[in-house]
Amino acid sequence: MPWQTQDFAGNSAPMRLRESPLGLAVRRVLRKRSSRVAFFVLGVILLVGLLAPLIAPYDPAAQPDIVFGKSLPPSFAHPFGTDLYSRDVLSRVIYGARLSLMIGVLATIVSLTFGVAYGAVAGYAGGALDTVMMRVLDAFLSIPRLLLLIGVLVAWPDFSIGALVLFLGLTGWFGLSRIVRGQVLALKHAEFVTAAQALGASRRRILWRHLLPNLVSPIVVAATLGVAHVIVLEAGLSYIGIGVPPPLASWGNIIQEGADQVATLWWMSLFPGLFMVLTVMTLNILAEALSEAHARR
Amino acid sequence: MTAPLLSIRDLRTWFYTEAGVARAVDGVSFDIGAGETLGLVGESGSGKSVTALSILRLIQPPGRIESGSVIEFDGRDIVTLGDDEIRDIRGNRISMIFQEPMSALNPVFTVGDQVAEVARVHASVSRREAWDRAVEMLALTGIPDAESRAKQYPHQLSGGMRQRVLIAMALMMKPALVIADEPTTALDVTIQAQILDLLVDLQKKIGTSILMITHDLGVIAETASRVIVMYAGEVVEQAEVDSLFAKPHHPYTEGLMHSMPHIGHDQERLNVIPGTVPAPTEWPSGCRFRERCPYSWDRCQTEHPPLYQIGEDHVSRCHLAIEPDRRNHPHPPVVVEAGVAAA
Repeated sequence: MPWQTQDFAGNSAPMRLRESPLGLAVRRVLRKRSSRVAFFVLGVILLVGLLAPLIAPYDPAAQPDIVFGKSLPPSFAHPFGTDLYSRDVLSRVIYGARLSLMIGVLATIVSLTFGVAYGAVAGYAGGALDTVMMRVLDAFLSIPRLLLLIGVLVAWPDFSIGALVLFLGLTGWFGLSRIVRGQVLALKHAEFVTAAQALGASRRRILWRHLLPNLVSPIVVAATLGVAHVIVLEAGLSYIGIGVPPPLASWGNIIQEGADQVATLWWMSLFPGLFMVLTVMTLNILAEALSEAHARR
Repeated sequence: MTAPLLSIRDLRTWFYTEAGVARAVDGVSFDIGAGETLGLVGESGSGKSVTALSILRLIQPPGRIESGSVIEFDGRDIVTLGDDEIRDIRGNRISMIFQEPMSALNPVFTVGDQVAEVARVHASVSRREAWDRAVEMLALTGIPDAESRAKQYPHQLSGGMRQRVLIAMALMMKPALVIADEPTTALDVTIQAQILDLLVDLQKKIGTSILMITHDLGVIAETASRVIVMYAGEVVEQAEVDSLFAKPHHPYTEGLMHSMPHIGHDQERLNVIPGTVPAPTEWPSGCRFRERCPYSWDRCQTEHPPLYQIGEDHVSRCHLAIEPDRRNHPHPPVVVEAGVAAA
């Protein structure tokens, strides 16, 4: 080791100058082979989604030859085959990645915003306000998310993708706000909070500047799981025909289109399904590794 | 003593617990002079930390400042100030150094950020300027290579270094008073001496007063000019350091001194004060120390002792002041811990 710095107490240890607790957690996560693989796979899928227009071989909505070009098995020209309308399944899966991931991430951002704000305020305020907010949350939690979504989406014809994202996000923050509240409650009597108070920090400053940065790890874990959950949920909704409307491609509706004849035209559902399972799996692996790294701190 | 910096009068801080009302601080009065170091001594549970937190009004429910006043030199009473006004005092005019340097620092921010934040809260300075002042302050507390240390996180520093960071935070705004709550208890003995020297040194440079809270009379001897001894939520003795060490009056102070180890004296075992501080929900009637006292007599059971003047600048809450002969007839105290012979 070329650089050894002397600790004040006399221990010599290799030292990184800026080693934030989050950076430490990330390094710990990447030390495991399984999470490195998951990280790589997820990165590739993300990249595919981001660069969809550049790498998709065909227009995902184009129906070049509805008579002779439909339902072709995988070949060199169409690695994932073509669907019932002669569209290229690979191109649709690539564009599907773009839409499914985007919906997952944006809906999770909506959930995070609500969940963190609600939980933090309840936990920090305490007392009667906390009690009321938690009972309201209990009421929300008692409604099954899927049923609520189906109800809203069926009742509202012609909703936009933006509205879908909003619904998914607005129904996904209850659990997260529970977690945030618990953590704020546990931390608000920590000595560094009293110390910050003793130095003149306001309540608002203490909550947002001192407490929340300490919750980054559990929030990141919850967000990672949240993205996976939304992707599955969106696929489920699209599968029963009330999610992403065709001809837009999402993993859910591609799977659905091939579902009737999955025994013979297997490629239509297998490939989008595979991508979805891979994405959800890698997200779960990373979330678990992250929470493990956090727990070991 | 000249005009006091802070006058605490009849301060009562009570906690409303399920076990009853805990009268943790129960009628405490004292003054802190400008530039002086005042020692506040007592066992755990004597009310010294609650007194400190009350001065900055940092008492959390179920605790409450019941009555009394904490008058600042400009005449304002901290007990009745509005939230904005008290925030302006905290960290600016009066600041505090905590006991556990690890838990008093936020683990997810660099120490430089945390020192700089004090300036950001109290002075309208730019981020850059606050950072520069933080590094300057860290250097002043004797942290070598402060510029790069400031960019490190608390877990990367040793205990002594962390305590220096807390001192830098407390002194950032050059406050009139620093409350040091057991600032060396969590540190190695060798580091303890360094930190005490540093505090005394910085006090001279900045001209701040220090309220030194400790259970360690050695720390008092090294730093303070005046001492207040607290027991069971009350001031039981108050004197100049020299006269307290030369002639402790209250039996509790006496007990504290005897329980200190002395180098060069042959001692089989340390003398201890038998028993523990009683529960703050039920202080004994009369003298609160009587059950642990080797001199107590019937007067102590019924009559709560006032603070007797027993010398110039020396007061003691003990009836021995009016019946000094009783000191010649010690007896085993009422409360004797199993296996521990009375002193």
